[in-house]
Amino acid sequence: MALSPFASRSPSLTVASPNSALRLKASAVPRSTGQAVATKAQSNPERELTEQLNDDVRRKYTKGKKLGEGTYAIVYLGHFREDPSSCVAIKKIKVNAEYKDGLTMDAIREVKYLQELSHRNVIALHDVFSSKDQNLNLVLEFLPGGDLEMLIKDGDIHYGVGDVKAWMGMLARGVWFCHENFVLHRDIKPNNLLIAADGEVKLADFGLARSFADPYLNMTHQVITRWYRPPELLFGAKQYSGAVDVWSMGMVFAELLLRVPLLAGMSDLDQISKICEAFGTPTEENWPGVTQLANYVTDKAVPLQGRDFFLRQFPTAGPVGADLLMSMCVLDPRKRATALQVLQHKWWTAEPRPTKNEDLPRKSGTKKMGDDLARRGGDNDDGPFKNAARQLDFGGMK
Amino acid sequence: MAANYWASTQRRHWLFTREKLAEVRERLRERDKVTHSQFPLPDQRLLNIYFNQQLIKLGKRMSTRQQAIATAQVYLKRFYTKNEIRQTNPYLVLTTAFYLACKMEECPQHIRFVVGEARGLYPEFITPDVAKLGECEFALISEMSSQLIVHHPYRTLSELQTELPLSSDEVALAWSVINDHYLTDLPLLHPPHIIAIMAIIVAVVFKPSHPGSFGNSAQAALSGTMRDGAGMGMLAALSDKPGSGPPRIQKLVQWLAESEIDIKAVIESTQELLSLYEVWEQYSEKHCKELIGRMVKSKNLDK
Repeated sequence: MALSPFASRSPSLTVASPNSALRLKASAVPRSTGQAVATKAQSNPERELTEQLNDDVRRKYTKGKKLGEGTYAIVYLGHFREDPSSCVAIKKIKVNAEYKDGLTMDAIREVKYLQELSHRNVIALHDVFSSKDQNLNLVLEFLPGGDLEMLIKDGDIHYGVGDVKAWMGMLARGVWFCHENFVLHRDIKPNNLLIAADGEVKLADFGLARSFADPYLNMTHQVITRWYRPPELLFGAKQYSGAVDVWSMGMVFAELLLRVPLLAGMSDLDQISKICEAFGTPTEENWPGVTQLANYVTDKAVPLQGRDFFLRQFPTAGPVGADLLMSMCVLDPRKRATALQVLQHKWWTAEPRPTKNEDLPRKSGTKKMGDDLARRGGDNDDGPFKNAARQLDFGGMK
Repeated sequence: MAANYWASTQRRHWLFTREKLAEVRERLRERDKVTHSQFPLPDQRLLNIYFNQQLIKLGKRMSTRQQAIATAQVYLKRFYTKNEIRQTNPYLVLTTAFYLACKMEECPQHIRFVVGEARGLYPEFITPDVAKLGECEFALISEMSSQLIVHHPYRTLSELQTELPLSSDEVALAWSVINDHYLTDLPLLHPPHIIAIMAIIVAVVFKPSHPGSFGNSAQAALSGTMRDGAGMGMLAALSDKPGSGPPRIQKLVQWLAESEIDIKAVIESTQELLSLYEVWEQYSEKHCKELIGRMVKSKNLDK
């Protein structure tokens, strides 16, 4: 079991009862009679105790301006009441007005995993509280540096291989930590990699995360935004491993180097052919068992790309960096590098060394953070590309 | 299983000492003595048996995983350390715990379906309005401080199966013992590996008399044997002098001694299980149903 090498955050993580719990009981009380009042008064002291806790947490923060809004959450800037110069992001999850469908899986997963994972490269959840209007509020670490997508797209920002190494190193540590704790992130992409004020990269949006399934139990393959989705998921594999996140990491790596997405498929099928064109066609020879996968299709047989291809395509990474990238882009998930192997790669210690955090290129991206946190994961910002499963999939999501 | 038990919220926030747990419950009772005397309820364990049966019924047509049922049971326990049962509608709470646990264990069910099933079972106590369940879900999450991951002993059992090794009968019996431990306070008192070890010892020491005949619970298979005093023998074997008893058990005891596992906790858990099986004999589904029904109806808790 892995323990975070960093001091664990302490905040209390208390949510005490909102009025709803009270109503569970209070609603037992007939509305009009005097007896009702009496019963209510009787149960009040105890309610106050638990509500007090919640209020204490809520009162620790002040809510500021809105940073972003999505279909599923609104993100506000917040401050510790005691220290107005400190910042947090308060993500208010919209509980649909009538509780029609219960809390979404996204919200549940996010709370579930962030409550347990504490690592320098995973966004910290400081507190959870419920507000009067019965919404769940997640108090998250404030990450004003925007995200990696912003840096990649901004032509005015110049960065070098040392910078890429620093960012990738932080990403790899975050992913390793998740895997070490048996959690798959399942939505790694540049705009889920947020940047803290000190330059640290943090893995955010755990709305698609899940713990490793028990052996032989199925999981849904409808995860990870298409451009970052590995071939096994495109082929409909229902049993998979941390290798899916490693592929996404490889795609992020390539994108950091090229400054455009490496494989921007227009559809799932197009994504498959782009993967084939780039790395070679998956066959029984290079990936035993692949033809058995439910959605296995190929149109043309491209021979497997060797090391030369990576050296040619990614000259900036240098030969050692190209090796690392190649190990993350192996078609057969069983032969793909694990997060741990990624961390153990020679590239990290080769020249140039990773840039120090304080020297990394940066941009202010408070608004971007708001949008990133408010967005439902799995969605691309470009409308037509949104695809990954966000809703309860009662059949497949086992 | 997810995340790391040792750093988990379960270990940090939901593990009680026996004294602490008693104190928490006493405080709940103190606050509302009148209701307590007005509406007596059966022994907590008997209630747990009843709740468990209801959860199994609920899950029947949805082919729910045992692990989700187990998580739901732990949610109920956690919820009722913060809330007096006599101020809730247990049918709504258990349906909600079931619904949330299914989402948590990655076998989600649609809220309408869950409400439909619950309505079918308890038409008097569950309203067709799904918003009620949604609201209760929110309350449940809040009361549990949104600490939702539960670590179960099942995984430890399957991991130790090959290491020890255990026969498939032993594993099946140990599995049932783990199912049974959710009927006690043990999930709030000990970490999952202690429970798994306890279940393994029980399974190895009390060889199932009719292999394969125990179902979800090990009660039928075990209560007789354990009552016959074999249990005491086992406890003695554990507490001192390794080197006595049959070789199979000796080996296990040896393994335990080297494992640095808290043997005292294991013994205590065994005793807890033993007394569960004793209490079980007084169980009457009808009785529980009546008492809860009367309480909910006369306090209008179902509205």
